[in-house]
Amino acid sequence: MTAATGTEACTSEHCITCGDDGVAMTILQLDPNRGLALCTDGAGAHMTVETLLVEPVTIGDVLLVHAGTAIGRGEQL
Amino acid sequence: MKFVDEYRDADLGQALAGEILGLVEPGRHYKVMEVCGGHTHSIYKYGIDDLLPANVELVHGPGCPVCVIPMGRVDDGIALAHEPGVIFTCFGDMMRVPGSNGSLLEAKAAGADIRMVYSPLDALRIAKQNPDREVVFFAIGFETTAPSTALTLIRARQEEIRNFTVMCSHVTIVPPLRALLESPDLRLDGFVGPGHVSTVVGARPFEFIPVDYGKPVVVSGFEPLDILQSVYMILKQLAEGRCEVENQYKRIVPYEGNLKALEVMAEVFELRPHFEWRGLGFISHSGLKLNENYADLDAEIRFSVPGVRVADPKACQCGEVLKGVIKPWECKVFGSACTPERPIGTCMVSSEGACAAYYNYGRFAREREVV
Repeated sequence: MTAATGTEACTSEHCITCGDDGVAMTILQLDPNRGLALCTDGAGAHMTVETLLVEPVTIGDVLLVHAGTAIGRGEQL
Repeated sequence: MKFVDEYRDADLGQALAGEILGLVEPGRHYKVMEVCGGHTHSIYKYGIDDLLPANVELVHGPGCPVCVIPMGRVDDGIALAHEPGVIFTCFGDMMRVPGSNGSLLEAKAAGADIRMVYSPLDALRIAKQNPDREVVFFAIGFETTAPSTALTLIRARQEEIRNFTVMCSHVTIVPPLRALLESPDLRLDGFVGPGHVSTVVGARPFEFIPVDYGKPVVVSGFEPLDILQSVYMILKQLAEGRCEVENQYKRIVPYEGNLKALEVMAEVFELRPHFEWRGLGFISHSGLKLNENYADLDAEIRFSVPGVRVADPKACQCGEVLKGVIKPWECKVFGSACTPERPIGTCMVSSEGACAAYYNYGRFAREREVV
């Protein structure tokens, strides 16, 4: 999550990655050749995410993202 | 918000609390450990312990990635950050963890080029943007985070980015649990298993707990109703005389884990013979290092790392807190000399740390009780 986007997670006093948190993010764009996706958390934050661990993925999929990597997927994250 | 509100429904929470009350035997004291710091955070944030009967005690476990990093490891990171030409990158909370002579944040203030990143991929991007500099990523975390580091190392290799290395301090969840179960000063009745770690490793690695130690485990999600339901499931196992691993977090956690994640970890990492845990000491086969195929990307090989061992401050009782032997407020320096703004111990740094979670949420309820 980028601090500049001012999401709830990043205005908190703590680092969500250190906190072992997973964040639900939706795929906006795909770079299938590099296994990367541009994702949004729906609150304005954007992040480039590794998708190898949850492939195949399509635009609109909801991923559980931790440290820039999708580690799970599904609607009810 | 859809798929959030459903798991925070107050009426359902009260109903579950009633079901839990119906399961406990009067006069018996239950101690249930939540392994993951994320659960500790949710428990204090949502006041879950207030919904439980007085004889059901939640004990906070060692599953906070920042809290378990020993001071010597922080000192090693700071030493690397002061190497000429190095850009040192790490996650946010690690910047504030005190070493024996200050934190990474203080080293940055003193002139070291230390940058906060949100993912290893961010660190790799910095390396690509600064080909004349050496970029070191301080990798911490359990199996939740280790696949991300592994994928970034594989990407660095594929894209031939040679000015990127990793100082690997990843740890694994099973060895400290075994160490805790062997500890004579801690009697537990069951475990709330870690949710996000289990998305990677699955629920199967926890089967040794019921098999070898006769304690139930329920892998749990992080919303208030997830945790309440998991406590209910543990108490139900105890009431029925069952003892097994159950998966409350099925909407995310496959019982066998994420096989691709396990594969990429196996490609890049190997177990260290020993790794030092803050407050727990050295635990065999509990830490990861880069294997020989990735040795050229290992910061501890490319650079000279002091590797000194530093004893924890005497006043700090993080070790006892991490083992669940004492509650945060029972530490002598809690809330006085040690606060989130000026932490002495790691448990006060991360949101996952029991001390920080209790300081931020739980202490108000306790202060009301005292008054």
